[in-house]
Amino acid sequence: MSIWNYVVTAHKPTNVTHSCVGNFTSPQELNLIIAKCTRIEIHLLTPQGLQPMLDVPIYGRIATLELFRPHGETQDFLFIATEKYKFCVLQWDVDANELVTRAMGDVSDRIGRPTDNGQIGIIDPDCRLIGLHLYDGLFKVIPFDNKGLLKEAFNIRLEELQVLDIKFLYGCAKPTIVVLYQDNKDARHVKTYEIALKDKDFVEGPWSQNNVDNGANLLIPVPPPLCGVLIIGEETIVYCSANAFKAIPIRPSITKAYGRVDADGSRYLLGDHAGLLQLLVITHEKEKVTGLKIELLGETSIASTISYLDNAYVFIGSSYGDSQLIKLNLQPDAKGSYVEVLERYVNLGPIVDFCVVDLERQGQGQVVTCSGAYKDGSLRVVRNGIGINEQASVELQGIKGMWSLRSSTDDPFDTFLVVSFINETRILAMNLEDELEETEIEGFCSQVQTLFCHDAVHNQLVQVTSSSVKLVSSTTRDLRNEWNAPSGYSINVATANATQVLLATGGGHLVYLEIGDGILMEVKHAQLEYEISCLDINPIGENPHYSQLAAVGMWTDISIRIFSLPDLNLITKENLGGEIIPRSVLLCSFEGITYLLCALGDGHLLNFLLNMESGELTNRKKVSLGTQPITLRTFSSKNTTHVFAASDRPTVIYSSNKKLLYSNVNLKEVSHMCQFNTAAFPDSLAIAKEGELTIGTIDDIQKLHIRSIPLGEQARRICHQEQSRTFALCSLKFSQTSSEGSEVNFVRLLDDQTFEIISTYALDTFECGCSILSCTFSDDSNVYYCVGTAYVLPEENEPSKGRVLVFIVEDGKLQLIAEKETKGAVYSLNAFNGKLLAAINQKIQLYKWMLRDDGSRELQSECGHHGHILALYVQTHGDFIVVGDLMKSISLLIYKHEEGAIEERARDYNANWMTGVEILDDDTYLGAENNYNLFTVRKNSEGATDEERARLEVVGEYHLGEFVNRFRHGSLVMRLPDSEVGQIPTVIFGTVNGVIGVIASLPHDQYVFLEKLQTSIRKVIKGVGGLSHEHWRSFYNEKKTVDARNFLDGDLIESFLDLSRGRMDEISKAMGVSTEELSKRVEELTRLH
Amino acid sequence: MWKEIERRESGKICPHLFASRLKSRRVASMQLSNSKDIVSPHRGSINSLQVDLTEGRYLLSAASDASVAVYDVQQPQDYEGGGLIAKHKSILVLDKQHEEGHKYAVSSAVWYPVDTGLFITGSYDNSIKVWDTNTTQMVMNFKMPGKVYTTAMSPLATSHMLIAAGTEDVQVRLCDIASGAFAHTLSGHRDGVMTAQWSASNEWVLITGGCDGAIRFWDIRRAGCFRVLDQSHSQLGRRSPVLSRVTAKASTSKVLLGGQNTSAKTGMALRKLSYGNGTKQVSAGKIPAKTSSKQRLHPGMMSIRDRATAHYGAVTGLRVTEDGMYLLSTGSDSRLRLWDIKSGCNTLVNFETVRLQTNKAIQLAISPDSSHVFVPCMASVKAFDFWSGKTFMTFRGHYENVNCCWFSSRDQELYTAGNDRQILVWSPFVSQEMEEEAALDRDCWSD
Repeated sequence: MSIWNYVVTAHKPTNVTHSCVGNFTSPQELNLIIAKCTRIEIHLLTPQGLQPMLDVPIYGRIATLELFRPHGETQDFLFIATEKYKFCVLQWDVDANELVTRAMGDVSDRIGRPTDNGQIGIIDPDCRLIGLHLYDGLFKVIPFDNKGLLKEAFNIRLEELQVLDIKFLYGCAKPTIVVLYQDNKDARHVKTYEIALKDKDFVEGPWSQNNVDNGANLLIPVPPPLCGVLIIGEETIVYCSANAFKAIPIRPSITKAYGRVDADGSRYLLGDHAGLLQLLVITHEKEKVTGLKIELLGETSIASTISYLDNAYVFIGSSYGDSQLIKLNLQPDAKGSYVEVLERYVNLGPIVDFCVVDLERQGQGQVVTCSGAYKDGSLRVVRNGIGINEQASVELQGIKGMWSLRSSTDDPFDTFLVVSFINETRILAMNLEDELEETEIEGFCSQVQTLFCHDAVHNQLVQVTSSSVKLVSSTTRDLRNEWNAPSGYSINVATANATQVLLATGGGHLVYLEIGDGILMEVKHAQLEYEISCLDINPIGENPHYSQLAAVGMWTDISIRIFSLPDLNLITKENLGGEIIPRSVLLCSFEGITYLLCALGDGHLLNFLLNMESGELTNRKKVSLGTQPITLRTFSSKNTTHVFAASDRPTVIYSSNKKLLYSNVNLKEVSHMCQFNTAAFPDSLAIAKEGELTIGTIDDIQKLHIRSIPLGEQARRICHQEQSRTFALCSLKFSQTSSEGSEVNFVRLLDDQTFEIISTYALDTFECGCSILSCTFSDDSNVYYCVGTAYVLPEENEPSKGRVLVFIVEDGKLQLIAEKETKGAVYSLNAFNGKLLAAINQKIQLYKWMLRDDGSRELQSECGHHGHILALYVQTHGDFIVVGDLMKSISLLIYKHEEGAIEERARDYNANWMTGVEILDDDTYLGAENNYNLFTVRKNSEGATDEERARLEVVGEYHLGEFVNRFRHGSLVMRLPDSEVGQIPTVIFGTVNGVIGVIASLPHDQYVFLEKLQTSIRKVIKGVGGLSHEHWRSFYNEKKTVDARNFLDGDLIESFLDLSRGRMDEISKAMGVSTEELSKRVEELTRLH
Repeated sequence: MWKEIERRESGKICPHLFASRLKSRRVASMQLSNSKDIVSPHRGSINSLQVDLTEGRYLLSAASDASVAVYDVQQPQDYEGGGLIAKHKSILVLDKQHEEGHKYAVSSAVWYPVDTGLFITGSYDNSIKVWDTNTTQMVMNFKMPGKVYTTAMSPLATSHMLIAAGTEDVQVRLCDIASGAFAHTLSGHRDGVMTAQWSASNEWVLITGGCDGAIRFWDIRRAGCFRVLDQSHSQLGRRSPVLSRVTAKASTSKVLLGGQNTSAKTGMALRKLSYGNGTKQVSAGKIPAKTSSKQRLHPGMMSIRDRATAHYGAVTGLRVTEDGMYLLSTGSDSRLRLWDIKSGCNTLVNFETVRLQTNKAIQLAISPDSSHVFVPCMASVKAFDFWSGKTFMTFRGHYENVNCCWFSSRDQELYTAGNDRQILVWSPFVSQEMEEEAALDRDCWSD
């Protein structure tokens, strides 16, 4: 049974919908605040760039985001309104470094019809009131009192029905709005109203302007001293105020976003639908506007929001491509562009289609998405975990350890790679041809296993073997000094840094040496009661070459001890409990926080917060990384230190938002790892795995790794063909020549490794690719690509003609084998019992693959099924066909072999407008609908009456808050059969906002447990702005709002791991389950994505 | 279509807008359905049609032969014409044969708004009956003082279960299903009450239209009616201009006409003058605050306002928009009027009606986005543009006068019925070619 589902986000929304700039976190600090539909991000502007401060989820889809400053305040407040008619005012608490809610409320009304053109929320520049346009014909006012607190809201009737934009005018004695609207003859006008707060009504405003540009859709209020408003049309821009009217013609374009450059409002940046950035200047003599000027600056991503930051730096937020940080230069570059892109922020949205593939054949899925729109269209390859890109590899068996060494202390690159085996040590080095070849360091002992190696100060190298410590010059490679272990004792474990060596011999002796110029000094010796299993003196304090602390792991009593250096005094002893000995300890520091990591022999990892002064260990946490002993090593990538945990499930440990994160690496089993940063292979790692030594570079350190393949056109449908190792796309290219834009459609074939376009089939004029499928037919061994198309004629509402094209890939080329004309758009194609099932307008049609007399093949209609409004989404399972209709929810059809007919078996009688369907199991089907909800329905085969059996029963409902375009079975993570989560079936979905999510069907007992946990967490974690999680996740459409059922919010449940210990305990108490157990169970779940 | 889907899936239009555009396009393509047929069992003129409000699945019809029938409009019982024409037969019929059935014409039948387990019928045999749908047994019977013209239940109500009943009698009665008794009577009309509608925004507000030409608003928690619509009260949208800017007045008044018909507006202004003190409060230019008018209009008071009429002659039909902001009324003066509910203003939209039935209540329908209103106009049904009043479509198909229509927002289908005893289905156009192809396919696999 797959009715108990767990929904979790694998990739957060990246579509930037709103942004604003102001002094939010402190009166001196300038912040950029970005809304990504259901999240807000707060960034700090620093000379180095944008520095992220906070990234929080909002329990709602953000409809408006505005910064404002009430009278007497030194900082800005943030006003947020959600699409479900909730609003809140947020303030930054400087002391607690968190958001506090100043005010919140509900602005929904019983009367009124939701506006078609989107919700508008605006704040009077003099902070007298908040204005909201949420329903046609109503303007809601929330007044501020003189203390800046919000008073009771009221509605004012607005006779203008088709409102396109409303803004507050600056410099008015009474709050005044300017309204851009369309009348029922499709003409557009602008008028002004004063708001009489006392009478709760409008008063005719100071001016109005009839018959503005027919494409006008944006108003820009101009601040004092000029005041007035700019009306942005498609062909003209008009400046309008009570006593001035200036117009300027522009190149036809649809302006999508604007950003004000100067506080006095004389310059604005305008971003249009083609991604062109223009500067609009209001020329004026003192306070009298004399004209408008416009200048093209260059090209950016297609902007949905523009925020001018400071000093010619501009943030471009985009819904269709990557968001950008750009700089506007004073002089144009060679191409005449003033725009310089400094940084790109990945945006996957809109994910129109995707497929799950395992290109590396490792058992781990990758998602390839069709992302972006218009010119910013691209493919994105999304992979969980961190990839190692192999540069070189050698076969080497039995590696016991690896260290890289430099030829001199100041050398920025590593030269030598010391590889240790059970009874020898080999040294590899980069030669002049940048090849790795074996070499010698004369001073080193190469006949025995090396326990540890390190660079030392004064151009020296240290080698520790079981009998001695050798100090060697890195220039002459000669031995300079040697410290021998006392006779009868051999060195078991050792560690070193540039100036210190710590080693342990049998019998619990701990010896501390310091490195001088050509000398090794034994500084201290200590006798411990048990044998030592591991140690570390990684310098994490002020001095990068000298550590004040040493961490030691013990046999027998299974403890970790912290000693001070150089005197080897015991500071802290932490008993680990259990019977598994520590196998590797590491002192490390992430984002200014010091940790002690300790890896156990059974693949568990403990982490503690380490107090550098007192040596105290706090905040113990335990996670399971694998099942084999782990070796910990630091490495740095892009100037940040990370930890590599080598084991049967290699993991990179890093920190984000001051929280430790664990990301698996796309390698199967790694025994040892060390950084090997050479001139030829910069930022590389040397990795020892099963009989192989690999040099490779590592991806950016993040959980999901995304590779972009820009197409310059919009990919609509994608599918992968294993046999030919290709992807096929349906794509469309917009020509830039006119504002309306003409488009050309293609079927493209891409290599699945290089992502190069290797073959293209151009579709006819007006023909669009609507669906694509890789399939085989019965009685034919070939694998084909089938493409469904529609002829989209401008005069037709619904396509009346389309084609099914059957291609075969031969020599990397698409060859058209057969085509079949259809009487409508082919919205979906599925392989079905060795035949082809197509959804064509109202109909489901089954085609047979027939052999003609001349040996050629053709598609022949076999049977069909009518009765849909539009059959948009189809999935099949055996003889069952699940159809997602445009507006009639889900229906279940069955193919009857004997009769050769398709019949309806059951359907859901709700009026859901579908956006995607998937089959979870034989009886349970998943649907996504137009109001951002998910629901599941179940076939009721055991129903008592025909009526019951013919009805798909709704068993689960949930508000996702995201527009789902596609569901696919699959998983982003490696499915290990040994783990519990390995057995849980998952479905991946992709949304318009660029979210990749996972829906996991849980066993019932686990669901019940997690439901209880979710309820407990809800009580502890309060939504930003006081928004209710329960309300947010309630299934919501025009007709009804009902509590979510049989769906759990994984994002909320997994946020348990971010809580402080105290709050975890609070939840654990409420649940009656220990905090450790809870953490473990939640951590298990995080492995689903 | 494909373009819209493309725009929706790439986030270029919001899903809400996608749905509303598509719905209005489907409405614009409505024609007599070639694939759906409702088989009417009635042997008398059909007076009332309603699809249930919960599932949008069951159509209830009431006819003058004292019969009531229910049809499943989603799931046909049978197919004809090679599986292309779906036949929706009645799944339940109550007629004179039923021991508790009505004796005379059933004028009105409505679903219990909360579920489809109950429905209510009002008849010319002076009774209102409540029926259990599953057992087809009468569960309640209210004896009324005269022929029942209309029954209505509030779709919003959560705290009451009242049937508002309009009869030959001047009083509107509220029948309480919870207690089986009359809750109270509302007095004010001077003639029988043809039509009643509950407010779409407030469960306590009832609107009734009488044969006296008055449309009255009642707050059932208070005695007496709180508003009587006046056809000459028509100052919607007039805002007092900024005092300091008297010169701008001429231009602003032009602006505020907005989408409304200019000539009607000025014509109305003249008429208002000729009425003199008859519209004293109105000529103040601004609508008086609601509270003050309520105080002045004490239920017992026979103010001049209380005699105001919405139509010359009887009010024959009422319909509130789904957003609760507007009311549409028809009268035996063959006029269709659009009222702004909050202010009680006649918006003066000039609907191009030709002739309406005058002797019978008619049932109007409004598309949920308030863009079109469907009005039975003698033997045809006309769809008018809500804001311009222009005829948008004319549905011709009935042989005799049409009495009622119902718009199903779920499927964008219009059901109409009238004296010719037929229920016709008007649905969005489905291309004929598809049908042909289907016929072709059938040939393919029959050989």
